[in-house]
Amino acid sequence: MKPPPPRQGCRLDAQPLQFSFDGRSYPGLAGDTAASALLANGVRLMGRSVKYRRRRGLLAAGPEEPNALFTVGARPDAIPNVSAPLLQLRDGLEFRSQNRWPTLGFDLASALQAGGGLFGAGFYYKTFIWPSWRWYETPIRHLAGLGEAPGRCDLPPPVLEHCSCDVVVAGAGAAGLAAALAAARAGAKVILCEREPACGGELEYEAALVGGVPARAWVRAALAELAALGARVLTHTTLVAESSGELLAHGEPGGLAGMNTLHYIRPRAFVIAMGAIECPIAFRDNDRPGVMLLNAAERYLARYGARCGQELVLFANNDRAYPAAQRLLAGGMRVRAIVDTRAADAAGAPAAALRDELRRAGVECLAAHAVLAAEGSTAVRGARVAPLADPAAARQIACDTILVSGGWAPALHAGLREGGSAEFQAGLGAFIASAQPAGRASAGAANGHLELAQVLRDGHEAGVRAARAAGAPGTPGAAPDGRGDGEPRLAPFARSPAPERWEKHQFIDLQNDVTVADLRTALAEGFLDIEHLKRYTTLGVGTEQGRTGGLLGAAILAELRSEALPGIGLSRTRPPYHPLTMRSIAGFRAGAAVKVARRTPLHEWHEAHGGVLDPMDLWLRPRYYRANGASASTAAVVEARQVRAHGGIADGSTLGKLEVAGPDAAAFLDYLYLNRASTIKPGRARYMVNLREDGCVLDDGLVLRLGAERFIATVSSSHGPHMLAHFEHYRATEFAGRRLTVTDVTEAWVAIVVAGPQSRAALERVLGAAWRDTLGTLGHMGFADGDCHGAGLRLLRASFSGELAFELHCRPASAVQLWQELCDAGLAPYGLDAVDILRVEKGYLVSSEINGETTPFDLGLDALAHAGNPCLGRELLDRPAFHEPQRPRLVGLRAADGRAAFLGGAQLTVPGELRRPCGYVTSSVYSPTLGEWLGLALVARSIDLEARLVARDPLRGGDVAVRVVPPVHFDPDGTRMKAQPASQGSATT
Amino acid sequence: MTRLQCPFCGPRELREFQFHKTLPTGPGGSAYERTYERVADAERSLEHWQHVGGCRAWLHVERNPSTGAVLAVVLLGGMRP
Repeated sequence: MKPPPPRQGCRLDAQPLQFSFDGRSYPGLAGDTAASALLANGVRLMGRSVKYRRRRGLLAAGPEEPNALFTVGARPDAIPNVSAPLLQLRDGLEFRSQNRWPTLGFDLASALQAGGGLFGAGFYYKTFIWPSWRWYETPIRHLAGLGEAPGRCDLPPPVLEHCSCDVVVAGAGAAGLAAALAAARAGAKVILCEREPACGGELEYEAALVGGVPARAWVRAALAELAALGARVLTHTTLVAESSGELLAHGEPGGLAGMNTLHYIRPRAFVIAMGAIECPIAFRDNDRPGVMLLNAAERYLARYGARCGQELVLFANNDRAYPAAQRLLAGGMRVRAIVDTRAADAAGAPAAALRDELRRAGVECLAAHAVLAAEGSTAVRGARVAPLADPAAARQIACDTILVSGGWAPALHAGLREGGSAEFQAGLGAFIASAQPAGRASAGAANGHLELAQVLRDGHEAGVRAARAAGAPGTPGAAPDGRGDGEPRLAPFARSPAPERWEKHQFIDLQNDVTVADLRTALAEGFLDIEHLKRYTTLGVGTEQGRTGGLLGAAILAELRSEALPGIGLSRTRPPYHPLTMRSIAGFRAGAAVKVARRTPLHEWHEAHGGVLDPMDLWLRPRYYRANGASASTAAVVEARQVRAHGGIADGSTLGKLEVAGPDAAAFLDYLYLNRASTIKPGRARYMVNLREDGCVLDDGLVLRLGAERFIATVSSSHGPHMLAHFEHYRATEFAGRRLTVTDVTEAWVAIVVAGPQSRAALERVLGAAWRDTLGTLGHMGFADGDCHGAGLRLLRASFSGELAFELHCRPASAVQLWQELCDAGLAPYGLDAVDILRVEKGYLVSSEINGETTPFDLGLDALAHAGNPCLGRELLDRPAFHEPQRPRLVGLRAADGRAAFLGGAQLTVPGELRRPCGYVTSSVYSPTLGEWLGLALVARSIDLEARLVARDPLRGGDVAVRVVPPVHFDPDGTRMKAQPASQGSATT
Repeated sequence: MTRLQCPFCGPRELREFQFHKTLPTGPGGSAYERTYERVADAERSLEHWQHVGGCRAWLHVERNPSTGAVLAVVLLGGMRP
């Protein structure tokens, strides 16, 4: 173990710690990130690339890092693809590299590099096809991908915070701080979001003066002033996504797997000050460990005291190389050469002066030169440098690090989200966001300004405008003055000259292993547009989203197409802008908290007595009871048989109930239903059907008339909220201002269905003498109100099973007692599956038949339409198209061979027809009453009763011969349902 | 822009509201024309929404469907808040 290097940096705290990378222990300091600590410990190999498994090291010092992605923690809780520069160290942290086997140093799959040509762009369309692509699928899938998905999620859910404010400033660098100050001084409520643990951005290390004081002191003063003005500064908080003007920011102050917060922020104005990302330059083998971005080296040095190498060569197209070289020399590294792609006179005066100083200090300053290739097979050993005018005259400069600066690309992703557009700035050689919707603005480097005074002024103005857009009244004062590195003059330079055979090693997108050769291939195959190119070559996908490869790829595409860069444009970036775990997005919405569960008052009873409850929509309903069978199908048959033979009870509470009251209630219901409600007598119920505006059946149910101005309409369980909205909508439009109320009373009444030959006798026992007369005289579809056990009760005689049946509507408080008493009286409970068997035997309708495509004529409800009620949907109901011979008609089905089974969803064809179905099976059950499978189906009207059809079900069962029968399979006259007691009229006590 | 001003509750997030239907804007008067021959206007859409996450009021909303901007919100049914 090496002794800890005596490092100093503005992010470091002297506290030492230990961490482990790939099983080996290293020392670090508090405040280090994984990247900085590994660099400081001399580790340069940090990963392998995704396709070719090439050795890779650090490129950058921020989320744009494409190579150093680690898996943190141990299986099955390991978190993959954590970016090394963002991974804050804590004592004992363990992480490992990805994408290599068995070790990072010796990876067997790197042999794939030999077959480089086989893995070019779109290789899966062109290679690995013969003899069968399946041979190659498994090994390729095994090799593909970035990181390994965890088996389990052990992360703490985030705290959710919803807030609104006047101005959100994203990014606390020079421009962001200036904007936040301006807005806060003007009286706006400001939230400042900063991804890093500390504010200041480049001011943290750039030796600049702001307002006459050193930059770091100014940053501290600015933060203090913001705090005093009441602005919120959120560090460790990344702006992740945006939707309809609401920003989503994820804060992880505790580091990975610590406490985290998800902020939903709705601002009135939004300042985007997220800076610009340095661009690499493509040259041969520009992905070797040791090739880094210039500002990354500066950041690691200033923030963490970590040296990226010892012998450096700088390769740049702008003035920044010179002040940077000075700082790197001062940091103890040796700069061998500065390779400037521009002519000698293209540098600005301050840069030229620095250049002379550097020459005197022994740095070789070359102009109009380029680095053609990185020498060294496992890491950088030297740079091959040549004049641009004569690439053949190349020589090697020995070095262990090549620092590249190809200009800057403003961070565009947030600026384009809500409908802005990007425009090209020739001086910068890059795109900035322009023409943004009101209240949004980019500022600073994100807006294309690179010189400190301009950045501060731009930030200040953006803050002023934002405060004004948000309606803040005050005056923000003047912009702070700044003096830093000076305006960096720049000449766009995307790739070094190279013979075509070198192009497959000139990397554009390091994360996805996209090279210049891939671009050429894609162009040759016709993928000209940058968005097509992105998808074909995978340039700009992945966690990096084109941060380092986007502008570079566009520039090289422009070169290859011989077109100007503005016409090429950039491909769209997708949120989340920075990777975050699914756990963070989901928050508390996991497991049982994803959906609300609705339970009836009898829920605990069902559970305690072996009821198997299934969610249907949001309701938990018993499908069957375990005592009756091991599976749903066997238990349901037993329960259905029991109901027809003896009797049973079912929980029907989930049925929606809407109470409609008022002088205009009858007219209202007449409008909403196909048949009239106004002609129902008090004390009676009627089966009614709702139509949609286009004449199709929307729902069905009973309407009970409680009085002249009071009705209860029942609606299907699954349609409850929808029908309530339907009723309320028409009350607010067609019936606006009329005297009627609509109230949802679904949860006020428990409905217990009591069905079967013994139902009446059991009810007599349970309800007592007071109800005997009513039970004796209540006719089918009548109801009566009364009391039982001191609470209100409504007894309705209606049947969904075809048996003599009643519904008890009682208060939730009395439900369990009544239910238990009915059980004790000899009626066993039955579940939903048994309900289904009973209703199919009788040809009753549920949503399988009322599926939104059927009319009342299709379903055999013609009688309800005869009265000609001018209801909703009536106009479009009366059209010839609804009577054509190909319209479906509800029929019953039975197997031609009594034992064969057929399932709902099977398509029906005439025998011999192989293609066109004439209908389909809507419901099917095994009927214990008839001893065979029964079904209901919708078939073309032209098919007659007793026709033979074939039910085709290729995925599940095969073909079954069926015959068409009337939909009511059992007791077509309804004698069981309408039975009156033998001793009617004579009351015996 | 993507908040709706509920006449009872004030400006609320869009996620509290549920869209119900768009009114026909075409010239047709018959039920057939209103249902099947609808002409969509890219600049102006008249819609009915309900504030299901709040007071359950029914609202008539005039919106620009291309930009998402809300132009006007009034209560349906002539009720006064």
